[in-house]
Amino acid sequence: MNEERIKVSRDLMSDGVGLIAAAGYINNEGGQAIADAATELMGQGCKTLLIDLDGTRIINSIGVSILLEILEKLMDEKGTLAFCSLTPTISKTFEIMGLVQYATVYPDREAAQAAIIGDPSV
Amino acid sequence: MEVVLHLPVVPNVELVAAKAVETLGSALGMHQTHVEAASVAMVEACLNAMEHGGGTVTVRLREEINASRPCLLIEVEDHGQGFDPATAPKNSPSGVLGRSSKRGWGLTLIRELMDEVQIQSTPGKTLVSMRKYVESAP
Repeated sequence: MNEERIKVSRDLMSDGVGLIAAAGYINNEGGQAIADAATELMGQGCKTLLIDLDGTRIINSIGVSILLEILEKLMDEKGTLAFCSLTPTISKTFEIMGLVQYATVYPDREAAQAAIIGDPSV
Repeated sequence: MEVVLHLPVVPNVELVAAKAVETLGSALGMHQTHVEAASVAMVEACLNAMEHGGGTVTVRLREEINASRPCLLIEVEDHGQGFDPATAPKNSPSGVLGRSSKRGWGLTLIRELMDEVQIQSTPGKTLVSMRKYVESAP
């Protein structure tokens, strides 16, 4: 649960859709690592980003505030942000801080892929 | 069962306190979701104490099995300037986008994630006491 160093990977799911997988503690450093991956994917033309938090069990408000900044940048570009594989506590934290008002939450990556690109087998 | 920690202000030390919540909460038979909620509240309380306390933070955890509702009691104590809990900012999710600063969510998260929260603060000592019921509603 208390893995300090976050592991972040990024990939293109399809044209214009980027995937960021993050596992570990989302604090200021973890949030910034996700923000760096988001910036890179947006630079590659992604206007839709899916952040998969499978393997992330603890966060703090500083990390979530950085996720809010990613959301703002995407919305400035008329893009969209989605999350999947959230624990109930992370989901509630996102709700308290207003993130889920503007981002879509899916139960897992398969459901997200099916909804975003229509192909659950990717 | 009781755990007492004296935390120096070093990066990620709040995770030591979160680990204590996980260990004690699990030993009390708390649901994993409630343990994780209490862990996030603990992290926020420690971050606040380290940011505003200016020194070692003392954390105490213990079970209250004889209370009307058995619970895990968490206390986080710092020795900073203190603050008035009644006038502390209460953040709201509405209009969160566009704010220049998105910080200041700690107390809001603590109040929402825990079942009982009490804050006593005077110059030189702030004590945040939080309870998570063993049998919390999901």
